[in-house]
Amino acid sequence: MSLIKQLWLTIVVLLLLAFVGSLFIGVSTSRHYIEQEVRIKNADNANALALSMSQLDKDPVTIELLMAAQFDTGHYRLIELRAPDGEILERRESGEHIGDLPGWFVDLVRFEVPHGQAVVQDGWRQYGTLTLQSHHSFAYRSLWHSARNLAGWFAVAGAISLLMAWWIVRTIRQPLHSVVAQARDIGVRRFTTSKEPRTRELREVVQAMNQLSGAVREMLSQESEKLDLLRRRLQHDPVTGVLDRDAFLAQLRASLESNGHRASGSLAMVRLARLTEVNQRLGRPRTDALLKDLAHSLDQLGKVRGGGLVGRLNGSDFALLLPGSGDLEELGHELSQRLQTLQEEEKSLTLGLPSALIDYAQGDHRNELLASLDGALAGAEAKGDHGQSIAQGAARETLYASHADWRDALHQAMEQGVYLGHYPVLDTQDRLLHHECPARLRLKGEWRPAGVFLPWISRLELDTELDLAVARAAIKDIAQRGKPVGINLSPASIRDSRFVLDLRALLRSHPEAAEKLWLELPESMAIHNLAGFRSLCRELQPLGCRIGLEHVGAEFNHIADLHDLGLAYLKIDDSLVKGVDTSAEQQTILRGMATLCHSLGILAIAEGVDSVAETRVLFELGLDGVTGPGVRQHDKPA
Amino acid sequence: MPKPRHRTLASPGRRRFLASLGCLALAAGLGLQASRVGASLDPPRLRENMQRLYGPRGLAVLEEWFALLDRLAGAELRTQLRDVNDFFNRRVRWVDDIDNWGHEDFWATPLETMGQGQGDCEDYSIAKYVTLKQLGVPGAQLRMIYVRARIGRSRITQAHMVLGYYETPAAEPLVLDNLVPTITPASQRTDLDPLFSFNSSGLWAGGSTESRADPLARLSRWRNVIDRMQQQGFI
Repeated sequence: MSLIKQLWLTIVVLLLLAFVGSLFIGVSTSRHYIEQEVRIKNADNANALALSMSQLDKDPVTIELLMAAQFDTGHYRLIELRAPDGEILERRESGEHIGDLPGWFVDLVRFEVPHGQAVVQDGWRQYGTLTLQSHHSFAYRSLWHSARNLAGWFAVAGAISLLMAWWIVRTIRQPLHSVVAQARDIGVRRFTTSKEPRTRELREVVQAMNQLSGAVREMLSQESEKLDLLRRRLQHDPVTGVLDRDAFLAQLRASLESNGHRASGSLAMVRLARLTEVNQRLGRPRTDALLKDLAHSLDQLGKVRGGGLVGRLNGSDFALLLPGSGDLEELGHELSQRLQTLQEEEKSLTLGLPSALIDYAQGDHRNELLASLDGALAGAEAKGDHGQSIAQGAARETLYASHADWRDALHQAMEQGVYLGHYPVLDTQDRLLHHECPARLRLKGEWRPAGVFLPWISRLELDTELDLAVARAAIKDIAQRGKPVGINLSPASIRDSRFVLDLRALLRSHPEAAEKLWLELPESMAIHNLAGFRSLCRELQPLGCRIGLEHVGAEFNHIADLHDLGLAYLKIDDSLVKGVDTSAEQQTILRGMATLCHSLGILAIAEGVDSVAETRVLFELGLDGVTGPGVRQHDKPA
Repeated sequence: MPKPRHRTLASPGRRRFLASLGCLALAAGLGLQASRVGASLDPPRLRENMQRLYGPRGLAVLEEWFALLDRLAGAELRTQLRDVNDFFNRRVRWVDDIDNWGHEDFWATPLETMGQGQGDCEDYSIAKYVTLKQLGVPGAQLRMIYVRARIGRSRITQAHMVLGYYETPAAEPLVLDNLVPTITPASQRTDLDPLFSFNSSGLWAGGSTESRADPLARLSRWRNVIDRMQQQGFI
């Protein structure tokens, strides 16, 4: 039996005991008291009447009159006068008037009052024995009323007590539930902390569990810090702290190949001209500081714009990758301002800080893109110290001319339905974990990949509509194929609490599909909107769907903040995965990440896997799944 | 094996303990009741009470009373009546209650009457009544009678009480009085004018006695004296 049930049982039994006991004592005390009173009255009246009679002539008429007078004006059930030989001289009797009281009650209390008896004297002789009995039926009535009043009062008192008991039980039950929930979370390796309840015993338990969670968190953040340090050493420029050339180019390639949000955007390049001269004039430490300032300034711009990545391509050239849409003119203006600020801070010499910008979109070639940008930068450098030029990207067909046309077309396409691509994510046994399903929309008679329409989706703020459409398509897909499906959610959607509620309602109406749905978000988005992500997890996880992060790498040191969310999986960014079979450092990092994930009960999946060799190494490192261009499911299970 | 430190109410040991405790209490109550019903006279208790209240002098009278009871047991009724009447008339001096007890109309138990050596008319009657009952005279045949007494040949009357012996309920009683020491039929007592009579029937109905805690016992004088008698060891 549960503790709460036992508590209730105890309370109810106690209340009943108190109630029945008090009622019994109350009624029996009253009964006893009434019996006593009636007995005294019987005895006293019998004596008084006998005394009066003794003084009178023993004329039968006088005796009869006296008895009649006493009987008629008093409250008697019986007055009887018997001669010493037992013969009845006179008798007056009336019936009982109990009235409409319940019979069981009368039987239950049934008074037993002895008659009053006295002897009437006639001179020295005894004239007769007087027997007298008072009415006591009124007593049943008053007892019945008092019992009823008592019962009523106890019902009220009982109701109030139950109310108070309910309140007390609730104050115990709530913290108890949260303790149980926390214990369960820890059982599935979600190291949550919870508020300490006021109940002392429970508080100790919660304190212990919070301590455990804290210790795990501490351990996680230390470990992830170490891994991040390794990763930085591998991928970042030691002077400025931004990505080095290889890492940046890998990111660019991943973006251009991506099917999602980052598939289009802008690319900017800034050069610190005459680096050798600057180096000679300022000396090495100050030059390094200057480079660092420049990198930092670009990094700030990327962060302000959202999701920007900065890389140092060579000694003097820096690049900024800004996924998502943006007006190049505006971006250029902002960049110029920042570079101007940099110049103002460095007063000792005139800096040459030319810049160039270019658009990119899915399907562009990385090298062509970089070549165009390089050309534009040369042009800008020729324009002057702060020259800027905007490169013409590859000729792209624009599907629609205006915002309005785009809006109509996108609405129409979403109504028609979203097509989901299928890219398998496989585990160590070559079994399907789920299909990664990027959305496609039919625009101008063709199924277009997300890179084409996503910038417009976010520009027109249709993110939540698209995400809901994709979720509906995924549920349909699961119903048809019966295979797990993974879809991306846009950052705008998790900021929108209505979207979360809509999605929850949708999943709730398809519970069996929800079990096979994997939802993922870019790592950086989750870290930067932790509150929104947290509420998403809280609302959707109970429905059975798995929530994970994609492109995990740069922010892995923040993973400790997510230890209590119950994430199902992490997809590790291709920049860490590419070439893992030949790089010992990458192997160390990935091994550590996998171990850390496993300690939290999280699956570690590698993105962008190109070859069988990589796959083999990754599984040896302890990763749980792979996905990417080199991953194909060979034998389809029956 | 160490004893368990905590025992719940549900444990069999505790339950047995409680049950036996309850039985014991119940039995004690019933037993007390039973013993009181059966007893008629408790000489050790009487002696003890007499010793405590009146010392050796009272005790001597009590011993004489016991001797009287022994002597009269099984004797002829007339002898019993006469000797009991004489015993109290001789040993108890007639005084008013106000002189004897400090307040009017105090009804004394036989023990108090004997111990004090003096008493009022009702003290005589009560003592004789109890003694005769003790000798086996049926209670229904004995009645205490309120009478109006003329003292001597004067016209002065006085409230008085005598004990009447009724051979049958309808018969004329014999009067045991302290004013006139000989037992005479009522009709010859022209100096007495009967008013009302009572005895203990109805109070000891069915042989059962009321518990001492019964508040009724304190309300009526008659009940009060009966109650005190029970406490002192009579009845």
